[in-house]
Amino acid sequence: MPGWTKTYVRWIEALNYRVGRFAMYLLYAMMAILLWSSVTKFIHIPALWTLEMAQFTLVAYYMLGAPYSLQLGTNVRMDLLYSRFSPKGQAIWDVFTIFALMFYLGVMLYGAVDSTAYAIEFNERNPTAWRPPLWPIKVIISVSFLLMLLQASVHLIRDIAVIRGEEI
Amino acid sequence: MDYNLIALLMFSTMLLMMLTGQRVFGAIGFVAVVAAMALWGPGGTDMGFSAVMKLMKWTPLLTLPMFVYMGYVMSESRLAEDLYRMFHVWFGPMPGGLAIGTILLMVMISVMNGLSVAGMAIGATIALPELLRRNYDKLMISGVIQAGSSLGILIPPSVVLVLFSLIARQPVSELWLAGAVPGLLMAVLFIAYITIRCRLNPALAPAMSAAERAQITWPEKLRLLRAGLLPIFIFAAMMVPFLNGWASLTEASVIGALSAVLAAVVKRRFTWAVFETATRNTLAITVMFMLIITAALSFGAVFDGLGAGRAIENFFLKDLGLGPWQILILMQLSFLVMGMFLDDTAMLVIVAPVYVSLARALGFDMIWYGVLYTITCQIAYLTPPFGYNLFLMKAMAPPEFTLPVIYRSVFPFVLVMVLTLILVMVFPQLALWLPQTVLGR
Amino acid sequence: QETIKWRMQTYAGPALAEHVVKPAIDAFNTIANGQMEIELFYADQLVPTSELFRAMQNGTIDAVQSDDDSMASPTEVTVFGGYFPLGLRYSLDVPALFNEWGLNEIWGEEYAKVGVKHISAGSWDPCHFAMKEPVNSLADLQGKRVFTFPTAGRFLAQFGVVPVTVPWEDVEVAMQTGELDGIAWSGITEDYTVGWSKVAPYFLTNNISGAWIGHFFANMERWDAVPPHLQELLKVCFEQSHYYRQHWYWAGEAKLRVEGTDMQLTTIPDAEWAQVEAAAATFWDEIAAESETKAKVVEIIKKYNDTMTKAGRPYRYG
Ligand code: NA
Ligand code: NA
Repeated sequence: MPGWTKTYVRWIEALNYRVGRFAMYLLYAMMAILLWSSVTKFIHIPALWTLEMAQFTLVAYYMLGAPYSLQLGTNVRMDLLYSRFSPKGQAIWDVFTIFALMFYLGVMLYGAVDSTAYAIEFNERNPTAWRPPLWPIKVIISVSFLLMLLQASVHLIRDIAVIRGEEI
Repeated sequence: MDYNLIALLMFSTMLLMMLTGQRVFGAIGFVAVVAAMALWGPGGTDMGFSAVMKLMKWTPLLTLPMFVYMGYVMSESRLAEDLYRMFHVWFGPMPGGLAIGTILLMVMISVMNGLSVAGMAIGATIALPELLRRNYDKLMISGVIQAGSSLGILIPPSVVLVLFSLIARQPVSELWLAGAVPGLLMAVLFIAYITIRCRLNPALAPAMSAAERAQITWPEKLRLLRAGLLPIFIFAAMMVPFLNGWASLTEASVIGALSAVLAAVVKRRFTWAVFETATRNTLAITVMFMLIITAALSFGAVFDGLGAGRAIENFFLKDLGLGPWQILILMQLSFLVMGMFLDDTAMLVIVAPVYVSLARALGFDMIWYGVLYTITCQIAYLTPPFGYNLFLMKAMAPPEFTLPVIYRSVFPFVLVMVLTLILVMVFPQLALWLPQTVLGR
Repeated sequence: QETIKWRMQTYAGPALAEHVVKPAIDAFNTIANGQMEIELFYADQLVPTSELFRAMQNGTIDAVQSDDDSMASPTEVTVFGGYFPLGLRYSLDVPALFNEWGLNEIWGEEYAKVGVKHISAGSWDPCHFAMKEPVNSLADLQGKRVFTFPTAGRFLAQFGVVPVTVPWEDVEVAMQTGELDGIAWSGITEDYTVGWSKVAPYFLTNNISGAWIGHFFANMERWDAVPPHLQELLKVCFEQSHYYRQHWYWAGEAKLRVEGTDMQLTTIPDAEWAQVEAAAATFWDEIAAESETKAKVVEIIKKYNDTMTKAGRPYRYG
């Protein structure tokens, strides 16, 4: 494989690893927010922002964690036939089917960017009393889809390498 | 294009895409966005993304990572070991005793987590080696662990019932309470099956030897009973504030997760490795679920918007010319068949909206239907060729548990589950009595 | 000639839509006789309500029934949609304001700017609190998590109310799971129709607005592509829908207060409620200060209310 592919793979995987490891700990942020919500309720001054903030955190948690989960290979496949192939067979097969995944991610990215642009242009706010602006979470979603797309391209390169019998 | 044709086309392409072995969320999402771009008309490209925003508003989904985390803290810190030892000592002397103990362990695990994956992990790491060491039949071992762990989604708390509550717009508290009695009934029926099988063929599950039995003293037996307090503590810490309205569902799930951590800390088992693995695996499982749900929501909305949802409703309600019960049975059967081949979570999100509105149109009780639905999901987890528990079993068990062994092992247990399903269908009070009594519905 | 097909999403769930929109759509489809067909979708069915406006602007959805506030439309008039605090007394105030006092023109212009056709405005019910626990004074509202409209929520926060927004369809469940203590969203007819009366046994007779303002909208391009006779038919059917709501809600509000068995009535005394009315006057001024268009609408609403007060009974009492 050309040298640049190796650099590309290394960089993207390192990036997604770090983003994913960061996202992983947002679980505890979610817990803290919801606990705080309980506390404020207990002292009869429920906070206005906790539920929405927890929702945003959940979205950031699983969206930013998604590229890392692709890396970990933890997204379930219906591998009745697939699992019977040799590694090379799987790679050949994946080179084709990964385009379906990339197409889906591409359309999602398009939708996310479109929606983010709208949120910024009109300063869109969540229709609630707290009225937080929506662009930050939409930017996070857009970035996540981009990172997933990049991670998928890494899988494609790795598959091609396997087919050519090379190491990456 | 004809609505029936669209329905058929979308479903068959989805099935085909899944067969390619590509990640399930990618397969479903791909069909959804392609169908939207080809058939929706202008603006169809946005249908994929809008599911992300829809999901964000589904507040109860905040419980998903919490219930998953609880399960991982429990399995990684081996909190269930004492619990298993308890059942071992008390039930070991009977033929099939350890298998019965495993089912009871699974019931305890089920009250502390919302999915079947924790039960599978605990079953594979704690129960399985012990059962093998005692020369239990492989089919029996594999079946007990898979069937037992599936109780995690029927006995509260249950993530599947949370999803159902979102789709059917029914209170999750009622659904959870409704799942409790059928869940326990199913456990009892599993035990009855194990007992009968082992009486007929004691070689399947050798009882503990007399010498070993003599070693276990009564004080130890009683001491081990204390292990049973753990699930009671965690369950109570979570459910009491929730059912009394002191904490909301999402807050209760955090209390549950933290109780599990507290228990592990008290037992000095909350190591860095436990923390790291539980945190990472929770992310992995949550991402897996959320991505599938997102794709399936897009699929469902596109399916609806193209008129295919209505085509299915018309097919069941008008074209078939059947009575409500016949339609209900047909729906359950078709769901069982689909559960064999398709991803269970995706099925829930895609098929449930259609079936729920059908069941409602037919005048059935939605809480009761939620329980039927969950049992069907449990069966889908276990029925070959595709099912979460089957995959998890293959991934977690030693190599001698080959796919054929795993496939064959679930057969009798699936029959017991179908029996439970029939019992709940014939006697709705099995599901409805508890919520009616507790919540006075 | 091929049938023109529209997808319309309402912000109401199926139970409520049975009254507030479905009869008009069924009537339209029957009369249009195959020339045009509207397929009706309920709250959050195709897109979440918060994305509804965007979806209509993009043409993902052809037409929408909603108030401005819930669907977060990016216009100057959004705050007036749903319930503008203490702005209206009776449901007939809405068609009067829109048809006779000039609001139709303002709405039409504002929506045209963002590529949307404002077809017509109609009125629904008054906005009352339906609560888990009885409310007899303003102090009883302190710390209560209440499902309400964004603008109403902004206004009510000063009385210690914690406004919570969940998808409309999840309200009943959220009441039961403890996410909510109450609902400030509708009159008693809707409470009974959608089943909220079962989870919120106390009905506060004071309302924060006497009538809801909601509309039918369409994507501008799609609207322009419809031939004039069908445009006219759409308008007529939607007017009919507004009319249906006028009598359906009006009849229900009185009947259910007297004959309903699920909900007990509670009241905050007029003298104390005057604080809320005073706060509303301040709130109006705050809104008016935000932009020229908003100032214009507030001005119209003020003038209208002055006229009603001067006219006396039966337009205004006390
Ligand atoms: Na459970
Ligand atoms: Na299956």
